[in-house]
Amino acid sequence: MKTGLTRLLPYVLILLATLALVWIDKPFWIQLAIGVAITAITALAWDILSRTGQVSLGSAAFFGIGSYTLAIFEPLIGLALAWIAVVVVCALAATLLGLLTLRLRRMYFAIATLGFALSMQVLVVVFPDWTGGSGGIAPPVLADGDPRWQLGLIGLLLLAAVALSDALLGLRFRPAFFMIRTKPELAAASGVPVVRMKIFAFIVSGVLIGLAGACYGGLYGYVVPTDVFTTNWSVLPLAIATLGGMDTTIGPLLGAIALKALEEVARSVIGGTGYQVVYGAVIILFVIGMPQGIVGLLRKAAALAGRRTAAGEKKKERERHA
Amino acid sequence: MPDTASPGPTRRPAQPSGGAILAVEDLTVAFGGLKALDGVSLSIAAGEITGLIGPNGSGKSTLVNTVSGQLPVRGGRIRLHGGDVTGRRPDRIVRAGMARTYQIPRVPPTLTVEEVLSVPLLYAGRDRHRLPGLGDAAAIAAFCGLGPLFRRFCGDLSVTDLRRLEIARALACAPDLLLLDEAMAGLSHEDSVEVMGLIRNVHEQGISIVIIEHLMRVITSLCHRVVVLNNGRLLAEGAPATVLADQAVREAYLGKGFAA
Repeated sequence: MKTGLTRLLPYVLILLATLALVWIDKPFWIQLAIGVAITAITALAWDILSRTGQVSLGSAAFFGIGSYTLAIFEPLIGLALAWIAVVVVCALAATLLGLLTLRLRRMYFAIATLGFALSMQVLVVVFPDWTGGSGGIAPPVLADGDPRWQLGLIGLLLLAAVALSDALLGLRFRPAFFMIRTKPELAAASGVPVVRMKIFAFIVSGVLIGLAGACYGGLYGYVVPTDVFTTNWSVLPLAIATLGGMDTTIGPLLGAIALKALEEVARSVIGGTGYQVVYGAVIILFVIGMPQGIVGLLRKAAALAGRRTAAGEKKKERERHA
Repeated sequence: MPDTASPGPTRRPAQPSGGAILAVEDLTVAFGGLKALDGVSLSIAAGEITGLIGPNGSGKSTLVNTVSGQLPVRGGRIRLHGGDVTGRRPDRIVRAGMARTYQIPRVPPTLTVEEVLSVPLLYAGRDRHRLPGLGDAAAIAAFCGLGPLFRRFCGDLSVTDLRRLEIARALACAPDLLLLDEAMAGLSHEDSVEVMGLIRNVHEQGISIVIIEHLMRVITSLCHRVVVLNNGRLLAEGAPATVLADQAVREAYLGKGFAA
């Protein structure tokens, strides 16, 4: 189906884009690329989870948990162990939330995960001794504050997310995940340990978003709950994956680029906060008009072009025979 | 086992029938206060095709759903190969050697036939050497008449092909016992004849089969033995000819008019 070359395309593009931007060293483009990479990671993570039928609105919980865990643990156990703590804490939170929401379907699952994200924000404010409360907390600055190295590190995390997403689209996981999504009983009747697989997807997704959140917190070395726990971080991954094309790796990548580009254009043309309305409206139009996302649009175009070439060749063939 | 009493029209299986492959003892399943199964005890003989019949709401589907691990048991025991599988998870029961089909197979439309079959091949974790002709997805698809559709998307398959795929999926679990839930419902006469042929071929691989079926000609031509449920209780069991001639069965199943 897919050739090796198209499989490699996202890796090559990310690598080349990161290296080029680091080389050019223009602050605006580096900041934009960091923004694209972080949202792309959260969107890939959201998509991985959604392949098992778990449509989450709780990404912000893991984003915030990631940044707060790094900030809280770094003074206690050092930087390296604090990063490991991010992975462990996010995996535990994902397991807990996954088990609690196991029997919830679609809408109820989405609402429960949204509630989890909102309650995490409250929890941070309730325990100010640990978290700094609403005043925020200071996580260690990523790569000593050098934006080029920051982009390099976040680019690496994005590559890891892409590799994970691809692995989970392989024959071992994709059919089983889709079967769990369409009819969990059928998956179980085929020998799939449904609960374990759903929790596994939740852990992969939660850890990736947590790591993205920890990177985000480390950009400026300062985090407030209203920044990392906002609903924005819950909706954005969903919007990007839908916009780009679900159940694919390239979709969330294209979606993140398209959304950031749209945001920047809307910001510079309209300005203020009014740009958010336009930007939201465009997302809605895209989701309604192209349910398969950008990837679906490209596939349609490719199919159309293919049919045209096939028709052209047939015509030539006929002319040759004539 | 009353072997002489079951001269089914199909050939005798390759493997000798060695007692019960599935035994249900005093099984009770309830939804709230309603007992869907009320103290049912029965056993399925190894190497045979057993028909499970009964009027709507008699508990056939509940029995299949319960023994395959998808409904909680309120009382009683389920034994597979003599081992207790009561309350085990569905995927564990598949691993223990019992697979089932669904009447309405809802497979993801964006998966190909090959991909659907890959799931049980990867996850059911069963020894495939017993079924030499059914070692991989391509062989199983060809066995079930899905060879030309191997790389097609499930969303493009016809109802009949989806039924075949559902049997193929269950076969890919490499079961010792296969439960077929109305595999022929809604099929045309020609198609159901074909599916019956497929079921015979599966049986000749040495797989024991239980079929839930409403069509009497299917039961009489395929089954060695018939089990009849009514109102969640066992009404009768035995050779098809004997059971279908039974007055109580005719009244329960076909209605009083037919029984006269």
